[in-house]
Amino acid sequence: MAFKVIGENVLRVDGHTKVTGGAKYPADLEMDNMLYGKTLRSIKAHANFTIDTKKAESIEGVVGVLTAEDIPGKNCHGVLFKDHEALCESKVRRIGDPMAVVIAESERIASKALESIEVVYEDLEAVFDPEEAMKEDAPKIHGVDNTVFHFKIRRGDVEKAFEEAAVIVEDTYYTGAVDHAFLQPEAGIAYEEEDGTLTVVAATQYPHFDRIDIAGALGLEEEQVRIINPAVGGAFGGREDLTLQIHLAVAAKKFQRPVKMVYDRKESFLAHCKRHPITMHCKTAADKDGKLLALKARIVGDTGAYASWAVNVLRKAGVHITGPYEIPNVWVDSYAVYTNNPFSGAMRGFGATQPPIAHEQQMDRIAEKLGMDPFTIRRKNLFSLGSKTATEQVLKESVPLGRCLDALEAAMNEKPLPDKDINYLEDLKAQQLKKEGFWNEKIR
Amino acid sequence: MKTINMKINGTERQIEIDENERLLDVIREGFHLTGTKEGCGEGECGVCSVLLDGKLVNACMIMAFQAADREVITIEGVGKDGGLDPIQQAFIDTGAVQCGFCTPGMILSAKALLLKNPTPSKQEIRRGISGNLCRCTGYEKIVEAVALASDRMRNPEQ
Ligand code: FES
Ligand code: FES
Repeated sequence: MAFKVIGENVLRVDGHTKVTGGAKYPADLEMDNMLYGKTLRSIKAHANFTIDTKKAESIEGVVGVLTAEDIPGKNCHGVLFKDHEALCESKVRRIGDPMAVVIAESERIASKALESIEVVYEDLEAVFDPEEAMKEDAPKIHGVDNTVFHFKIRRGDVEKAFEEAAVIVEDTYYTGAVDHAFLQPEAGIAYEEEDGTLTVVAATQYPHFDRIDIAGALGLEEEQVRIINPAVGGAFGGREDLTLQIHLAVAAKKFQRPVKMVYDRKESFLAHCKRHPITMHCKTAADKDGKLLALKARIVGDTGAYASWAVNVLRKAGVHITGPYEIPNVWVDSYAVYTNNPFSGAMRGFGATQPPIAHEQQMDRIAEKLGMDPFTIRRKNLFSLGSKTATEQVLKESVPLGRCLDALEAAMNEKPLPDKDINYLEDLKAQQLKKEGFWNEKIR
Repeated sequence: MKTINMKINGTERQIEIDENERLLDVIREGFHLTGTKEGCGEGECGVCSVLLDGKLVNACMIMAFQAADREVITIEGVGKDGGLDPIQQAFIDTGAVQCGFCTPGMILSAKALLLKNPTPSKQEIRRGISGNLCRCTGYEKIVEAVALASDRMRNPEQ
């Protein structure tokens, strides 16, 4: 059977508009009679507040200031739990929480008017360490227990295995928050169509989820809301939670004019989630031949002020903490915990990125203790076809880890490469010839 | 308000500017040429790269009045006679475009490089685009695209 796509070099449909500057990202859109919005964000990590927008509203060119009171429907959103407020009502839970949006005739007026909004904060005790946040007497960020999620694996008898082990390595590993820094900061435009449909144009990863939350916040049926996803300038998980979409929709509906918002880089950092900082405490045991016997791990993920995808991320971290290795006895506790830090959510790897920091260092240290080569110890324990993971999943498809290690070892043992640079173009041409027809007229 | 002359993508234009406007604002809002992007506004990311009198600059770091009576080339002015520049074509052919937000700036950077040095080595290409970030991290393909464009420009019959 001949395939049209698989094995063929296919040019991307949006390639041409993107190389000519024609592709429209949300900040590139303009409409007649447009208004501009700017967001007031919290400068406190945990506080009750009152807000007075009168002065800002009286500034020439300001058409209004949105606060929580202007949300006609449910003032909440979130991919799993609806724990975000579109605009905070009376309490902020992190630096950067949105509290009000100035809508004005120009971006400059809107920015200037932000300074005239009067906010009085009443500080609340804040908690920034997830271990502290798990304690009973910790300040409650959402009024309930800060532990959002607890994932467990119980397989075999780890304690018995530790007793029988020839070597045990135990340590704690930490990873930090990471921002996606997608290159196109958040931006969007919203307007009401002639038939009353409310249209929101914003770069997003989940138009269908956005629609549910926007309709909910507006008190509309989903069918009355339309989401248009224009060109998206990178996302990497950072555009899964809503940022400006509800603000735009509420403003467009209330003022009956198109409304545009564009974040600068600083606001972009404040607005969207981060990769979960995770603390991983691992106790790993092996026999004298380097065969892994047991792993006991306690994983605590800091989801910050909002849960976002914490459940999925910390479940994944819990599954991946064994590394790609067969371990007969496994005990895992993986927690997601609210704190007053920036909120964490999806980012490239979704909980699979952090655990290798822990399990690979554990492997190296076990090898060191046994006087064993780091490749050898890994080969002895690698998943292969038919292996069972700690969650009893049988690996039936491709498991090419051995090949991966072989390639790595070969590359590491090779002598330093000569400066290929001189022949770079020649190399490239040789490669082209190999990729039959890759750069020929046919596909140009 | 002040009126300045500027040659933009080959056409002499007059435009009113505010003293505190950046060249980037004039390009995007004044001339409605939105192919030039804003990613950081502080000279870090390179998505606002344009050619000013043939020299690569970050349009977010140049005040509009500094461009008075000078020539500006943006991504919209890179192709000739409605066709694509070999650099643009090479970006498509090698798969150097992902989200595309860095692409206009990358192409302008490559353009500036190839104007100065038509036969750059891999290192020189990397150095040439070092002021432009690609967060989709497609750097290998971008370097390949510039090498391919350089090759095609010297051997147009290929
Ligand atoms: S926007 Fe000019 S360098 Fe980033
Ligand atoms: S293609 Fe997305 S930033 Fe380069």
